[in-house]
Amino acid sequence: MLENYLPILIFLAIGLAVGGGAMAAGFLLGPHRPDAEKNSPYECGFEAFEDARMKFDVRYYLVAILFIIFDLEIAFLFPWAVVLGEIGMFGFLAMVLFLGILVVGFIYEWKKGALEWE
Amino acid sequence: MIESLWGALPEALQTTIVIVAKIVAIVVPLMLTVAYYTLAERKVIGFMQVRIGPNRVGPRGLLQPIADAVKLMFKEIILPTNANRFLFVGAPLLSIAPALAAWAVIPFNETWVLADIDASLLYILALTSFGVYGVIIAGWASNSKYALLGAMRSAAQMVAYEIAMGFALVGVLLAGGSLNLGDIVQAQSGSILHWFWLPLFPLMMVYLISGVAETNRAPFDVAEGESEIVAGFHVEYSGMTFAVFFLAEYANMILIAALTSLLFFGGWLSPFQGVPLLGEPSLFWFLLKTAFFMFCFLWFRATFPRYRYDQIMRLGWKVFIPITIVWLLVVGLAVVVELPWWFD
Amino acid sequence: MGFDKLVFYVFAAVLVFAALRVITCRNPVHAVFYLVLAFLNSAGLWLLLEAEFLAMTLVLVYVGAVMVLFLFVVMMLDINVAEMRAGMRRFAPVGVGIGILLVVEMALIVRSSAFSPEKFGNLVRSPADYSNTKALGSVLYTEHVYAFEIAAVILVLAIIAAIALTLRKRPKTRYQDPARQVSVRREDRVRLVDVPSEKRG
Repeated sequence: MLENYLPILIFLAIGLAVGGGAMAAGFLLGPHRPDAEKNSPYECGFEAFEDARMKFDVRYYLVAILFIIFDLEIAFLFPWAVVLGEIGMFGFLAMVLFLGILVVGFIYEWKKGALEWE
Repeated sequence: MIESLWGALPEALQTTIVIVAKIVAIVVPLMLTVAYYTLAERKVIGFMQVRIGPNRVGPRGLLQPIADAVKLMFKEIILPTNANRFLFVGAPLLSIAPALAAWAVIPFNETWVLADIDASLLYILALTSFGVYGVIIAGWASNSKYALLGAMRSAAQMVAYEIAMGFALVGVLLAGGSLNLGDIVQAQSGSILHWFWLPLFPLMMVYLISGVAETNRAPFDVAEGESEIVAGFHVEYSGMTFAVFFLAEYANMILIAALTSLLFFGGWLSPFQGVPLLGEPSLFWFLLKTAFFMFCFLWFRATFPRYRYDQIMRLGWKVFIPITIVWLLVVGLAVVVELPWWFD
Repeated sequence: MGFDKLVFYVFAAVLVFAALRVITCRNPVHAVFYLVLAFLNSAGLWLLLEAEFLAMTLVLVYVGAVMVLFLFVVMMLDINVAEMRAGMRRFAPVGVGIGILLVVEMALIVRSSAFSPEKFGNLVRSPADYSNTKALGSVLYTEHVYAFEIAAVILVLAIIAAIALTLRKRPKTRYQDPARQVSVRREDRVRLVDVPSEKRG
């Protein structure tokens, strides 16, 4: 089994090398004439007046948390999908119950308005 | 002479050389496809808008991508003040490496696959989920408000559509009964009606649309939104650093097109199965189907106006997730009762 | 030394290095990236153990989801490093105490006979077409169905907790509701008033 993963390891290294090589070529071939104006971050022609790394709406954190939960759900679905032919009706009903419980949570989050963007 | 030299090399080195040669045989055509895909994009959208598109460099503009690449190569790479240099340069690498490495498990026909791992579908999903880092890091490291806004939008969007995409993939697994892409294609053999697009039609639509959203392409390109936040997360990138993001985006589009044809349209299987000569499975069919979905990406861009951000989030969470959950249970039931024609 | 041993030591060394950097880094964003690196390397170690499904899920869930949340949080907080270091002296004894406790616990587990190689009989490499996703699936939804359903309940609990903690209605935000805009009728907006014309004098 492991020998099948060797090409993937090499492919990842080559992927990094392709990107790194392209950027190295750009650094070598392109000119370097930096000045303060050119290097300032883009802001519609104004001087940047504060640090760009600002605070964000808490809504983004909520989206990230909900994403984790649904991602876990998908992780539970993968092995189920592969073996469903063998575990039959019992396995199917187990998943119906699982998804049923989670759909309750989904409806709660929908009704609470956690999915609204205004 | 060459053979004896080859034989003298240690075995481990031999394997490595063979693998590297195979990878080059995938990456080089892929890069050329990306280059000419950009030309095709400009031509196709040009024709759709009754324009000619690029036609100056070389015959009919055919050398345009080469000219673009050379131009980008000689452009200055700007490192903005206060940018975090290490992460700023690292971000393009983090988006190109997964976009290329995902091709390791794509089967081109029955036997041509670089890494025939059992969990290839899971591997692709894991790599796709890694792609979000390139965007977030680029936006944060640039120290620019536009870049950060674009990165946050894009991250929340990719995250929402990744769930829909994951659910759609589970449907394919159910129907194919395996995590291996090659086995999934084999499970679709029979005729054009055996391909999974028919029993999994809603999931196919969800997958294709989520694929467009995952790659941040129009009409879901609010992360770039050039009319409001200029270029989003890569606004501060120039020259080759920008080109690497660009390569990654197009490689991802081609990947989604290839996956759609593998998962839902029988990959290398012929639509005329049973007919002599024309019915033979071959690489040609796989490339033809992939090219069609690549064309769809361009077609969408020329046709649809950009979605508003709240509409994108609503579509991802409130439309796609319920549809996929319901259809998963339908397919699951069909598998359990061994519905004839597809799942017997 | 076999090639897989070499790979093991590379992964293990990078993992330990990354884990150390997570706690020694000044910049919290860098610390998160080192944690991502640590997860990727432990996924590699799990692959060496042929735990294919778990390795992929580790990348999918932790790298792809949990660390994205961490990044969101860490990037957007104003973290004053000097202020955080101020409490160092006070918290150090507690930290050291917990550290020692963990080391003792781990040593107890690792040294116990439950993990000795004899317990598992002959370990054999699985053939190339062995699917441990299938092996996992065939017991998870049948033998361990009870634990599986409990997992669903815990996930729902997490949804509810997340919403209760972070969802705030902001009555001041102004936003467009296109549905309401479109469904406006003439009567809602326009009021016809009878104005008697001035008398001509």
